[in-house]
Amino acid sequence: MALHLKIITPMRTAVDTDVTSVLVPSAQGEMEVLPGHADIIAAMDNGELTYRPVADAPKSVFVGGGFLQVDGEDVMLVTDTVLEAHEIDASSIEAAVAKAQEAYRNQASVLSREESTRLAANIARQLAMLEYKRKKHL
Amino acid sequence: MASLRDIKRRIKSVRNTSQITKAMQMVASAKMRRAQELAIKGRTYMSALANVLKHLQDTLSDGASSPLMEQREKGKKLIIVVSTDRGLCGGLNSNLFKEVLLKCDADADYITVGVKLNAQLTRCGRNLVATFTIGDTVEEAELKPIFQMIRQGFTDGTYNRVEVIYQKFINVMVQRPELMTLLPLSSEDLLNVAAQDDIADEDNPNFLLEPDPRTLLNAILPLYFGHQLVQMILEGKASEQSARMVAMKAATENAKTLIGELTLEYNKARQTQITNELLEITTAMKAME
Repeated sequence: MALHLKIITPMRTAVDTDVTSVLVPSAQGEMEVLPGHADIIAAMDNGELTYRPVADAPKSVFVGGGFLQVDGEDVMLVTDTVLEAHEIDASSIEAAVAKAQEAYRNQASVLSREESTRLAANIARQLAMLEYKRKKHL
Repeated sequence: MASLRDIKRRIKSVRNTSQITKAMQMVASAKMRRAQELAIKGRTYMSALANVLKHLQDTLSDGASSPLMEQREKGKKLIIVVSTDRGLCGGLNSNLFKEVLLKCDADADYITVGVKLNAQLTRCGRNLVATFTIGDTVEEAELKPIFQMIRQGFTDGTYNRVEVIYQKFINVMVQRPELMTLLPLSSEDLLNVAAQDDIADEDNPNFLLEPDPRTLLNAILPLYFGHQLVQMILEGKASEQSARMVAMKAATENAKTLIGELTLEYNKARQTQITNELLEITTAMKAME
């Protein structure tokens, strides 16, 4: 029995394939989805998503938050960002993160709470992206 | 009668104009296709969100709510007018403006997307608080400030209602101004959208919700409302391009008829000139005899 994985972003359907398992970064820790288990809707965190296509080697992509919905054999992932390792440019992210963190420290007092959470979330996402990139290039 | 040279000059200038309008028509039709494609691509995402919402509907009907669903008495109305940045698109903007005058409150605050209606709005005494320019590709980075502004205004209680007025894309020939409520999101609307979703399967209420229904709802609703706005802006873009395409097509055709008429006039004038010359020659010959 196989699962059908779909990763949907606003711009495209990034992945649409049959898989035997999916390892997702859910908001409460990593979670593996296998066939024949309970249906679930879960919020996701930034991080690495690994899936095993039925007749292929495991693949992994970076996902930036969103939702996971498992309904029987259909696994649907709704997210803003899906990137493969080669699409991430580590040096430019590093520079941007350094700049953002600097700005965040200097202006933490003037930012409203909502703005600062958003900024922090954004930095966290970029850092997660960076970590993923590094891991892939060890 | 105008001189031959004058007519010739006019034909030339009309021909130039028609070349420009023709080129604009082509550009607009290519851009329209792209805008439509984007709108269609976005639909998958929208229906995926609706699908998840559908499975959360028990939570919705239990009266769970998020700050984005709060109904308030106090506060002002915010109206987002999706117009265009450039003209030459027929009656698109003036039709939209008529609708604004007709349906939107005079004391509301206004945000425009596209600069074309700014002058008219201020002339009518509407309070324009911000204006945004969004490129044809509708990038996420360009939209962020709008979202932030709307969301903040709504959550801190400045506004109790956010509406969008835009040109709905019916088909290439027809665009219709439409007024939609963006915020507060009402659970009935959400349930409607979820029900429209045709991926509908037998209802399966046994979803595990993680971490908990409220967190999920709070995370998914901003995405949903944001994407709704994106879809409306994309429709506005598609309408703009198709209106421009039609207007430019009409202009090209007008230019063609004009060229036809002018050519006829030119030929007549030439003929008259030749006849006159012949007359002069023959008269001169007669006089010499």
